[in-house]
Amino acid sequence: MARNRYDMDEVLEDSFDVNQLKRLGHYISPYKTKMLGIIVLMLTSSAATMLIPIFFQRIMDDYIPAKQMTAICLISALTLLVAIFSAVSLRIKIKHMSIIGQSIIHAIRSDIFCHLQELPFSYYDDRPHGKIQVRVVNYVNSLSDLLSNGIVNTITDLCNLFFIVIFMLICDVRLTLVCLCGLPLLAAVIVLIKKKQRRAWQIQSNKQSNLNAYIAESINGIRVTQSFVREKENNKIFNHLSSSYRQSWMHAVLFNFTMGPSVDIISAVTTSFIYVLGIQWILAPGDAMTVGKLIAFTAYIGRFWSPINTLAGFYNSLLTAISYLERIFETIDEPVLVKDAPGAVPMPPIHGEIEFRDVTFGYEEGQQILDHIHFRVRQGETYAIVGPTGAGKSTIVNLISRFYNVGSGQILIDGIDISSVTIHSLRSQMGVMMQDSFIFSGTIMDNIRYGNREATDEQVIEAAKTVCAHDFISQMEDGYDTEVNERGSRLSAGQRQLISFARALLADPKILILDEATSSIDTETELLLQKGLNRLLEERTSFIIAHRLSTIKNADCILYVDKGSILERGNHEELLAQKGEYYQLYMSQFDFLKKAV
Amino acid sequence: MAIKWFYSFLKRYRARIFLGLLLTTLIAAFSIVNPYLSGILVDDVIQAGNYSLLPKLIACLLGITLLTSLLRFLYQVIFETTSQNVLYDMRGKVYRKLLEEDFNFYNKKRTGDLMSRQTGDMDAIRHFVSYIIYAVYQNILLFLFALLMIFTVNTRLALCMLVVLPFTAFSTFFQAKEVKPAFKRNRECFSSLNTFVQENVSGNRVVKAFAKEDYEIEKFEKENDKFRDAQIRASKVWMKYVPIFEILSYALTIVLMLYGGYMVIEEEITMGDLVKVNGYLWMLNMPLRMAGWWVNDIQNFATSVEKIYATYHEEPRVFSPRTGGIHERLKGDVEFRHVCYHADDEDIVSDISFQVKAGQTVGIIGSTGAGKSTLMNLLCRFYDTTSGEVLLDGVNVRDRDLYNMRDNIGMAMQDVFLFSDTIEGNIAYGRPDCTFEEVKQAAIMADANHFISALPDGYDTIVGERGVGLSGGQKQRISLARALLKNPSVLILDDTTSAVDMETESYIQQQLKTIKKDCTKFIIAYRISSIRDADLILVMDQGRIIEQGTHDSLVSANGYYAQAFRNQYGEIPYELMNPVQEGGM
Repeated sequence: MARNRYDMDEVLEDSFDVNQLKRLGHYISPYKTKMLGIIVLMLTSSAATMLIPIFFQRIMDDYIPAKQMTAICLISALTLLVAIFSAVSLRIKIKHMSIIGQSIIHAIRSDIFCHLQELPFSYYDDRPHGKIQVRVVNYVNSLSDLLSNGIVNTITDLCNLFFIVIFMLICDVRLTLVCLCGLPLLAAVIVLIKKKQRRAWQIQSNKQSNLNAYIAESINGIRVTQSFVREKENNKIFNHLSSSYRQSWMHAVLFNFTMGPSVDIISAVTTSFIYVLGIQWILAPGDAMTVGKLIAFTAYIGRFWSPINTLAGFYNSLLTAISYLERIFETIDEPVLVKDAPGAVPMPPIHGEIEFRDVTFGYEEGQQILDHIHFRVRQGETYAIVGPTGAGKSTIVNLISRFYNVGSGQILIDGIDISSVTIHSLRSQMGVMMQDSFIFSGTIMDNIRYGNREATDEQVIEAAKTVCAHDFISQMEDGYDTEVNERGSRLSAGQRQLISFARALLADPKILILDEATSSIDTETELLLQKGLNRLLEERTSFIIAHRLSTIKNADCILYVDKGSILERGNHEELLAQKGEYYQLYMSQFDFLKKAV
Repeated sequence: MAIKWFYSFLKRYRARIFLGLLLTTLIAAFSIVNPYLSGILVDDVIQAGNYSLLPKLIACLLGITLLTSLLRFLYQVIFETTSQNVLYDMRGKVYRKLLEEDFNFYNKKRTGDLMSRQTGDMDAIRHFVSYIIYAVYQNILLFLFALLMIFTVNTRLALCMLVVLPFTAFSTFFQAKEVKPAFKRNRECFSSLNTFVQENVSGNRVVKAFAKEDYEIEKFEKENDKFRDAQIRASKVWMKYVPIFEILSYALTIVLMLYGGYMVIEEEITMGDLVKVNGYLWMLNMPLRMAGWWVNDIQNFATSVEKIYATYHEEPRVFSPRTGGIHERLKGDVEFRHVCYHADDEDIVSDISFQVKAGQTVGIIGSTGAGKSTLMNLLCRFYDTTSGEVLLDGVNVRDRDLYNMRDNIGMAMQDVFLFSDTIEGNIAYGRPDCTFEEVKQAAIMADANHFISALPDGYDTIVGERGVGLSGGQKQRISLARALLKNPSVLILDDTTSAVDMETESYIQQQLKTIKKDCTKFIIAYRISSIRDADLILVMDQGRIIEQGTHDSLVSANGYYAQAFRNQYGEIPYELMNPVQEGGM
């Protein structure tokens, strides 16, 4: 799939997938019994409240003409009981349904989040992060109402409807049939607009996602925006996205609005018929219809249409929710490309022997980033990888951590193919420091401790000292407890690199990979850093990608990589003697100096 | 204050809202007519047998329903449109505010929180404007109308029904008070969840590299639990109050049964009156039954408005003195006069003074965190100096039009941020209307054309957010091209070539030299080779300039710079250094 941009809509599913509802049902099923209990309670309560019109009818038909005040008092007392019962049921329903609804949302959110943790870099690289985030947070939240009240209300309403129809049937069969004639009409309306309505909500969810992505990116890229005085242009783009969101919302919501009037009109028409026919039947000699019956029946009509109205509302919110739901499930269904092989065993403690056996790799089918890479690193050795940008240096080290699966060939650590061990056991023994040093919001202490959660404060400080970060950290106002955030407030790029360096060291890795890890650190600090590192690196295998030759000169072996192949290999002296690419690279550093001399 | 701020958005749509409320009133009136007609149907037609009235009444009933449906559809559209418009305005306003906020703001705010203001909080406002306003109004209206009608039937009966009002008022008041903090907690948990997810997504590479997925899931579950528990705790508040309203609504029925029945028996009212009042009863019941939920929605709305307002009401500390929008090209003379900048009681830079003429090149070197980038941020006025002055063409930057000034400065930042857009779009970020040729030219100067052209989609390749998928050096070159395309008076290269190889760097340096003479260049670098030819080299440490001069003079001064020089070129035998020193003298 091509990369997605903030202003590109994601692909829409066409068909209404019943499977999505089934999957939703899977989340609901643990609470089946509880929900059933609540539904029974609500039904009892609504059956009880249905007695009230009957009570009223009795009062009017019997007790008032008979002037029986005591009976009226008795009925009132009964009504009070019904009221209390209904209030208590309501309380129980609110209590349990909010717990159930929130628990279901909790479970869905957990699933989507856990799945996201397994997805490869490419999933994150291919779309704006705001679009991923909106799925985990906003979309899942929008299901909350549907799941907590929607389902119970719907089932209750359906049962209510059933009961009312029974009451109506008992009252008068013919009038009931007239009333039920309205339903096929309503169904026709629903069928007529369903497809368009669903499409409209899908588009709306896309527009929301786009807007969200743009806001997120605007916040993260604010420094660039301000320094390039792009405010006006961005504002224009934002207004455009915001207005297409508004438009799509209005378009979608109009479909929802047609539902209410449809129900109203259909109900009014059938009610009119009922009056007309009812009166005719009263007039017809020998007909069972009475005045009291007709009045009672008209009271039921209201109760017949009101649940249908709520059901229509539920249908609307269901269609809205489905458009979010399919996005959520789509994420959960995203295939995990790099995963533990069946029967994968934990990687035993790593000694540090690494072998690339004829490794070929491409990010996409047919693309060749690495071409038959072959090398072998002995325990404790330091390998440096040099070469022009885009040569495939980062790709080589990314394969060691198994961030991607190799196309063909094998990577062995201590003689074990890394695809046969669990990813967690492999990566937790490696320390990788990447080009971008990401800082989490929290204290500096927390950020370093990310490498090893069990580390004591002393160990954290020790690691910081090793990478020469201790001085600047302790000079900060709150020292190690200074709050920093993702955008790295007040930390310079170099300082962020040092912190993530400390983080990598704290993990006590057996294999250390430094991918441009020191590019933003001044040479003096780097020199000190290396002294500290040398001691640490003695027993560990390490890979260093760097452009500064001073950083790599002392490596046991240097691989010169270009266009996915290793062109030269050997230590510094050997490579200089070869007078090849490395020699060229090295000498270019001194061109300047020669000039100076 | 927050509500006043909110009203300023609503104000524009006053007429529309008024029209909507008018329609709502009409509908409320119609809802009275229908039971009235039903009453006549029962009294006069069915009971009294006056069947000739039937067709007329049915026609009326149908006509009114049709009209009601139409009007209801209309006012729903009116309120929905209004709410979308209010939201559009508010989102736009908040977004513009986001663009204006200075770095101090962004240093303190978490992305997820800012996102929550634009999503979750906006949604609570949408719900309020599109639904709550008219629903509450309509129901209060219905309640009053019904009460009025009952008054026309019988005053004493009506007064009896009023008994529920004080109870309702009490419950509403207490629920409102109790539910507010619950919603506040809800919103905070939402923000915090949002922030966590946002960082997890942004930091996904680190998470994977450290195999910390389990830890992330564990932390996430905590946030997820907190959010769920907050919601459940909030529901406990309305669990307490909603049933009270339910009982209050039934209380009316009981009053009618007892007192109404009594009055019919005593022949103070007719049976038809009782039926009529019974018909109005739902209008009294409905608002009571819903009151609890509305209190919730209103408080939820109020909390969101307050949150948004609290985030954005403060004016940015850095603002443009003029709004005229001038476009003039600056020459590029830069002077720092005793500049100090403190943040949170910490000296970031202090007592910085130097002067550069237009067209000159300044190299800045120094240890990590020495304040080099801060110096440039002060020049761009991302922060204002605590004391001292930064002058651009002899005018204090505070007195310059902010946008015009920044437009004259091209900056390639240390921390490269690319947008998820095409490469062309990223390079043309500062000048969206420039031609492709110009973009390509800038890319050539930054030595980026070569690798861009080699990509399958060339300049149309979409790079992921933050430019993931490109190597560090590639990103830096795109960022450099972006700055060059601006054709600025002052060009700032903040450690822009740290991730590119030497050959590329020397090529870029050659290209930079060809830039027209009227461009002042600031180059922050760790490699001596990057700044060696600068007209002025500033050596910084701990926020101060510790050495300044040209390469030769600094080498002979044998201080920090000379040490760095030796570190980087230590392989050169010491004897070779001497001629350099002599040459410098």
